[in-house]
Amino acid sequence: MPNSARVVVTPLREGGPAATGSELVRANPYRPWPARITSITELTAHEKLFEFRLVDDRIREAFHHEPGQFVELSIFGVGEAPISISSSPTKSGFIELCVRRAGEFTTRLHELQCGDTVGIRGPYGRPFPIDEMRGHDVLLVAGGLGIAPLRSLINNIHDERSEFGKVTIIYGSRTPKDVMFRDQFEMWRHRKDFDLYLTVDEPDDSWDGEVGLVTKPFEHLEIVPDHTYGAVCGPPVMYKFVVQEMRNKGISYDHIYMSFERHMKCGMGKCGHCQIGHQYCCIDGPVFNYWEAKNIQGSM
Amino acid sequence: MLYRVIDGSELPLLVEAFLERYEVIAPVQTKKGYAFAPVDSFDQVALDYPSTVSSLKKYYLPQRETLFRFDAETNEVLDLEVEVRPRVLFGAHACDINAINCLNSVFEDARYPDPYYEAHRRSMLVVGISCTPTSECFCQLMDADEARSGYDLFLQDIGGRYLVSMNSVEAANILETACNPRVATDEDRRAFRQATRRRQESFNPAIPDIQEIPMLMDAFHSDAFWDELGERCLSCTACSAVCPTCHCFDIRDVLDPDGRIGERERVWDACTSPQFATVTGGHNFRPTGRERVRHRMYHKLNGFLATHDRNLCVGCGRCVRACKANISPIEVLRFFEKKGAEDAE
Repeated sequence: MPNSARVVVTPLREGGPAATGSELVRANPYRPWPARITSITELTAHEKLFEFRLVDDRIREAFHHEPGQFVELSIFGVGEAPISISSSPTKSGFIELCVRRAGEFTTRLHELQCGDTVGIRGPYGRPFPIDEMRGHDVLLVAGGLGIAPLRSLINNIHDERSEFGKVTIIYGSRTPKDVMFRDQFEMWRHRKDFDLYLTVDEPDDSWDGEVGLVTKPFEHLEIVPDHTYGAVCGPPVMYKFVVQEMRNKGISYDHIYMSFERHMKCGMGKCGHCQIGHQYCCIDGPVFNYWEAKNIQGSM
Repeated sequence: MLYRVIDGSELPLLVEAFLERYEVIAPVQTKKGYAFAPVDSFDQVALDYPSTVSSLKKYYLPQRETLFRFDAETNEVLDLEVEVRPRVLFGAHACDINAINCLNSVFEDARYPDPYYEAHRRSMLVVGISCTPTSECFCQLMDADEARSGYDLFLQDIGGRYLVSMNSVEAANILETACNPRVATDEDRRAFRQATRRRQESFNPAIPDIQEIPMLMDAFHSDAFWDELGERCLSCTACSAVCPTCHCFDIRDVLDPDGRIGERERVWDACTSPQFATVTGGHNFRPTGRERVRHRMYHKLNGFLATHDRNLCVGCGRCVRACKANISPIEVLRFFEKKGAEDAE
């Protein structure tokens, strides 16, 4: 008999065929799963933090992420967008995404209310190597919206603080009004187990943090290079300067990790939109170490 | 591999046997040249076609394909069942079979096998046929002039008869029922080797054979050559449309007129399209033709090799004919040849 084949997409139904969450996901990896918005926090005039809960128990239980991974978020009729996960894997049952209002999709997302439903598939991508980082000092550098993926790593380290050495966080914003998660970081400024440098390019009268680029605090950083991992995320222009500072401090190429931003449309290494040189940001990254990044034409 | 020989006069029987149970796609002559299209008799098949304008990839990755339907008001995914018709791709050249092998390694990647692509592939039989190179063919330089896998039957013309490589039970059963295949003799094998030699000797000698393409791609990544190509590129994306291995796509939602029910679909896209690498907020990682043309060539002649151990260009020559600005991998090979000559001075 001739081969015939079919693709089936079926909606989730109560009492449907018994399948585990991961089996359901594997059956059609393009299919988003319903997720309800359970909380919305305005972080700045342009950025909101959304908390989502996957509606189906099986899918929610199958969802495990690592810091640095992303999901594909769907608003049906508008489209789909890759968004990095801001919550820590140490807190399960919900997914936090920090989203700037910048285009049609994100504008529509910003209009949604608690209780509204969206679609989520994922998580995707290669995460920060948190297990490798355990037992070491960690230097995290975020610029602008780059704090979104790094917050997952930062909060993961926070929740398992005793497993890491010295932790230094440098977070640069344009103005004090652009600083996200400001309440959290204001509290952390007085903690002895985090060295926190908040810096802005354009201070106002209320600002008592650092002023200047994210590279400025490196002037007075003391680093044990063999014992330190770097993690960087920010606007495209930022990487080469921050990475150079880390190299100047003696951190090895393969201990400097950075998360790249590209438009991962499929998330599965096929559609080509997120390609950097010969690598796909969605499956080979978005987290790359500096050695790998140096070997990808056009990465930085 | 099992080899059998059938007479040229038996080919219509084979095609008729396929037609009984499958949709048969084969090369046909059209007003605009040759194309792969459904046929309903052997008479329509242009067996000795030089090449086709577009490739076979549309049968694996349709230009537009529905992924699922949704209700935009309730934000629910709706039922969708797509049945893929059993097909025979009859008369594929070795380069095109190797191109499908490239696509397989992307879409059947064990991490994320693509259910839509797999459905098309599972329902397909591929029957290859030997060919004579055109002046734009350079498959031999891309190690794609022989198909070693990825087909069910491969027909090598050995002068009035065909040496058939049989690679699947399903196709072998049909061949044995429809024709009277006999075991290959020493004479058949000699004829096969002669045919192979003839093909190898008929490639266009003006297309340079560059041995160190990946290294040269890296070494001349910043060369002004790419500015020149980039300025000429019209961003028409014809190259990727006709390319048998270009597989980039966009994913988008299309609403029915009622504004409520819609489809998520994927449609072909191209890295030479100006906004292809733009992210939300407007930053474009490949803002000029220089970066876009270079990226495409880099992926074809270097990048895919690094991740999949073979070139993504199969040397089929389609983009050479499709590009209005005369940009093609052959230009890149000529540039490297010139650079090599300069270095030697």
